[in-house]
Amino acid sequence: MKAGNVGNAMQTLIRSLTLILAINSLGFAEEQISRVEFENDLVPLLTRHGCNAGACHGAAIGRGGFRLSLYGGDPKADYAAIVRQIRGRRVNLARPEESLIVLKPSEQVEHGGGAVFDDDGPSAQLLLDWIRQGASDESTRQLERVVVTPAQHLANELGVPIQLQTVAHYSDGSQRDVTPWAVFSPEDDSAVEVDEQTFQARLLRRGRHIVVARYLTKVVPVELIVPLADSQVDLASEQQNNFVDGEILASLAKLGLQPSAGIDDAAFLRRLSLDLTGRLPSVELRQQFVDNRQADKRAALVDELLGSEAFNEYWTYQLAKLLRIRPQRNGDDTGVQVYHRWLKEQVVDGASYQQIARDLIMATGDTHELGPPNFHLVPSGPREEAEFVSELFMGSRMRCANCHNHPLDRWTQDDYHGLAAIFAKIGRGRTIQEDPGGETIHPRTREPAVQRIPGEAFLSDDATAGRLQFSQWLTAEDNPYFAKAIVNRLWQRMMGRGLVEPVDDFRDTNPATHPALLDQLAEDFVANGYRIRHTLRVIANSEAYARSATASLHNKNDDRFYSRRLRQPLEPEVLADAISDVLELPDKYGGEPIGTRAVALVNPTTPSQTLDVLGRCGREESCEPSAGAVGGLSKKLHLMNGPLLNARIAVEGSRLHRLLREERKPLEIIEEFYLVALSRMPSQLEHDHWVKQLKTVSDPPAFLEDFVWALMSSDEFVTNH
Amino acid sequence: MKRQTRCDGLSRRELVRVGGLSALGLGLGQFLALQKACAGEQASTPKAKSCILIWLDGGPSHLETLDPKPDAPEEVRGPLGTVATNLAGIRLSECLERTAGMMDKLAVIRSMTSPLGEHNFGTHYLMTGYKPSPALEYPTMGATVAQKRSNSNLLPPNIAVPNLSSNVSGHGYLPPATAPFEVGGNPASPGFKVRDLDFYQGLNLERIDRRREIVRAFDQFSRSADVNPLAADPTLEQAYNLIASADAKTAFDLFDENAGVRERYGRNGANGLGQSCLLARRLVERGVPFVTVTSNGWDSHQNILQLKERYPNDPNAHLPTLDRALSALIEDLSERGMLDETLVVVMGEFGRTPKMNTFGGRDHWPNVFSIALAGGGVRGGQIIGSSDALGELPKDRPVSPSDLAATIFSLLGIDPAGELHTSDGRPVRITPDGSNVITEIIA
Repeated sequence: MKAGNVGNAMQTLIRSLTLILAINSLGFAEEQISRVEFENDLVPLLTRHGCNAGACHGAAIGRGGFRLSLYGGDPKADYAAIVRQIRGRRVNLARPEESLIVLKPSEQVEHGGGAVFDDDGPSAQLLLDWIRQGASDESTRQLERVVVTPAQHLANELGVPIQLQTVAHYSDGSQRDVTPWAVFSPEDDSAVEVDEQTFQARLLRRGRHIVVARYLTKVVPVELIVPLADSQVDLASEQQNNFVDGEILASLAKLGLQPSAGIDDAAFLRRLSLDLTGRLPSVELRQQFVDNRQADKRAALVDELLGSEAFNEYWTYQLAKLLRIRPQRNGDDTGVQVYHRWLKEQVVDGASYQQIARDLIMATGDTHELGPPNFHLVPSGPREEAEFVSELFMGSRMRCANCHNHPLDRWTQDDYHGLAAIFAKIGRGRTIQEDPGGETIHPRTREPAVQRIPGEAFLSDDATAGRLQFSQWLTAEDNPYFAKAIVNRLWQRMMGRGLVEPVDDFRDTNPATHPALLDQLAEDFVANGYRIRHTLRVIANSEAYARSATASLHNKNDDRFYSRRLRQPLEPEVLADAISDVLELPDKYGGEPIGTRAVALVNPTTPSQTLDVLGRCGREESCEPSAGAVGGLSKKLHLMNGPLLNARIAVEGSRLHRLLREERKPLEIIEEFYLVALSRMPSQLEHDHWVKQLKTVSDPPAFLEDFVWALMSSDEFVTNH
Repeated sequence: MKRQTRCDGLSRRELVRVGGLSALGLGLGQFLALQKACAGEQASTPKAKSCILIWLDGGPSHLETLDPKPDAPEEVRGPLGTVATNLAGIRLSECLERTAGMMDKLAVIRSMTSPLGEHNFGTHYLMTGYKPSPALEYPTMGATVAQKRSNSNLLPPNIAVPNLSSNVSGHGYLPPATAPFEVGGNPASPGFKVRDLDFYQGLNLERIDRRREIVRAFDQFSRSADVNPLAADPTLEQAYNLIASADAKTAFDLFDENAGVRERYGRNGANGLGQSCLLARRLVERGVPFVTVTSNGWDSHQNILQLKERYPNDPNAHLPTLDRALSALIEDLSERGMLDETLVVVMGEFGRTPKMNTFGGRDHWPNVFSIALAGGGVRGGQIIGSSDALGELPKDRPVSPSDLAATIFSLLGIDPAGELHTSDGRPVRITPDGSNVITEIIA
């Protein structure tokens, strides 16, 4: 091997003198490869042919006794696997053509994965050249970044070929067109097709689609758009209240989407009240608001609700879900009470989210006395805390990087275990304290992992200062994740969909629908002291927030560009409270005092059949995404025949019971329920319908009971729209 | 509503995202294209009208069930013995004695193989026939059957007893109405009753019907201006149908069975597996095309012996319970002349590590594992494929979960190469391109 290394050094010298530049078919200056480098040339080949994919040799246990790192994340290990394992039979320096690494994939000998490339094709040639040159692992340059063009493309129609090109930029300043060795994967292969020979993409469906380009360890998203409608839209006359509207309208114009009209005052009130306070507006407030003639009454309402006690209660609930506040595994819920109380204080005081994050991460002390230390009891250990903290504050899922470098994201195993190592220095018990000796084992090195700020730098091993350094880095003004992660969550709560969705999956390959808007929201949040109320106010005051949920022919297929309001199912707790409010009959939650609202419950495991049926989040894990349609039929049966609604609609003390006792006319009762539950009066059509129905009814009280039951089950009631 | 967390602590949401890794897998494409084959071209007349899937959640050990290795070293062989079957030369685990006596009715695949050794991924792959993908959530086989079979029946077409593994949504991209109806509770408990089937006091069918009509009116009014209409809520219709029919309710009534039959299936153990199988039989008898019976607790990371007995002479440990329930089900179906038209499938999401771990248990092992099929047009009395001497890898005839799905669909008369559509109209094959029906299994 020694002689070989000298030879390699010679070759490198010669190579550097004889760089040949050629112009390839794409018109890009490209140097010919005279010397094949393992990391820069062969690893991409392995990725290109899928050899190191999870389904083949990239599996954690390898395949057929041959293991490669997933997508070439660990070239050194791959080199060892190819050159050293099975006594070097994979590479035959004396007779390169007889190397297994060539014979197998070209299926000259039996290969479980079949023929992957031709024995006389460019891939085989590259492998042979490398072996002939001594099968060295030496690299003369390192890949720094990959540029894919176009990064974004707006096409006018479907099916037009879009040429993709991938250029690698190296540490020595050189660059190379690596298009043939890049792998292009459409996020949705029914929407985009990429020809593997010509590297042209073709859009098959309208909308905005992402193709992920992978080259070596780099992944780059390419955004391809065909407008959702053919006609141009003129949005010049649309009202713009703040920077939110500018960005939203710009993307609507680009996509040819006509926004739905604005909503009326009553609808705005119901929407805003549910979003900011988690409850339906009272009939009195509705009347006042509709009658109010002030021009700025909507902005005034936003401020009023932001300052209300109901806001404090509801947004404490929102943050408690985010922080997964729940009793200890041993059932101890003293800490939970303390923690929840502390959180509520932060909301009431309008504390800066930056300070909240710092207090939580840095917390030490008795969990029965202080709120923040309970933060460290939510995850069960350092690795879980690394995942929890990165999802919560960075909107990033590091979980994959536990076992291997994240194949779709920037995170490496070192990042994951380095962050875990920081949290390993926390002693967890009733009292949270520093534990200078705490460590966690890195599964690859089988040594204690070195503390590391993810994606940044290793920390000196000595002290417990790791947590402080991480906290300072995370909450610094220029941190790329922190502010975006939270404003995106706020946006999702208000608008029905995150600019990045899912909200805890920020990565380069999952770009925001409106990147500039996300940036501005984050900057604005930071500039205004990291105040949650501030950003909620900005969103609530935008014209985009006040658009109707009604789809028109022009925007019926839009589900992410905010041409109309996205209907959101009420969260289980909010729905439970809304039902109680409409029925005028409080529900019972465990041993809590009668009248306790579901959103005010500190403990998410408080016994409640209502909340179980409606599908609440137990906070053992992230509450994103909210519960789906699992158990739909069972739930419906329960609503039909169970006590949840049936036992409460007409019972003494309920609204219906009272109205009947007051001998109100059936139509009046119907109108009152419309106002309470839907914040509107029946339309003329509806009015006529109920009048007609009532005429045929022999048992008005029973009919009204059925009416209220159906109202509670109607789409208009169970959604915010 | 507690979500079940497995030893690895992942849940369905991770599956959906992380699953993307394998979806980006490349290269195999060309290989599979060559094999793109005749997955649905077998023209044999389907015999199976219904399928009962016995799902052993957590991943049952192949070495302690259908593929014991009596000649392997002790750390692989494990603590359990073996028993001869009525097929010459074929042995099963000692705990499956009754099943062994009806091997002539069973086809056992000993060369199942999958790359996905994690509960969510494995469950998704085995139950849907597709590896998980971030772009699309696939429907379970039961949901596909519900979608493809016109439902002339008042009972839901896809039922889970008592529930479906929490690792899959069930319906995937198909409408939520195709998701399994979960009967809930424990069928083995003395007061077992499907919740909320009977009228709430004071209600009757007329009232329920009127309520349904009023909901429809509300939903129509509220969307009158919207070009995307709100379709009638199919679960509301389903619930109504179920409540409306006395016959449908009888189907769930285990007390309608005589005590002898109930004993035969077994009253205890493995989350009521015996009584769940009996309920499944009652349901397929009444025309339900797909019933999933779920038994939890097969994730044997510790002390594998617990599968046989948790204390001396334990009659209700998982393996004896499975043996009793499965043999009773096959016998019962056979005696009633229903076996030919009822496909019974027994499987979990993967096998277990051939080498025992230091806790006397076995960890996840998807590389090779075993599943069993019976009835419904399956040619019994055969072992398909085999694993190597240590039960580590398929020795011959590797069968993927996609192949298995294609086979199950074929047996049920559903073309695995046929298409379903996502809500936005995109066509998706019922089983993946390149999945092959195991032809020798079909009688």
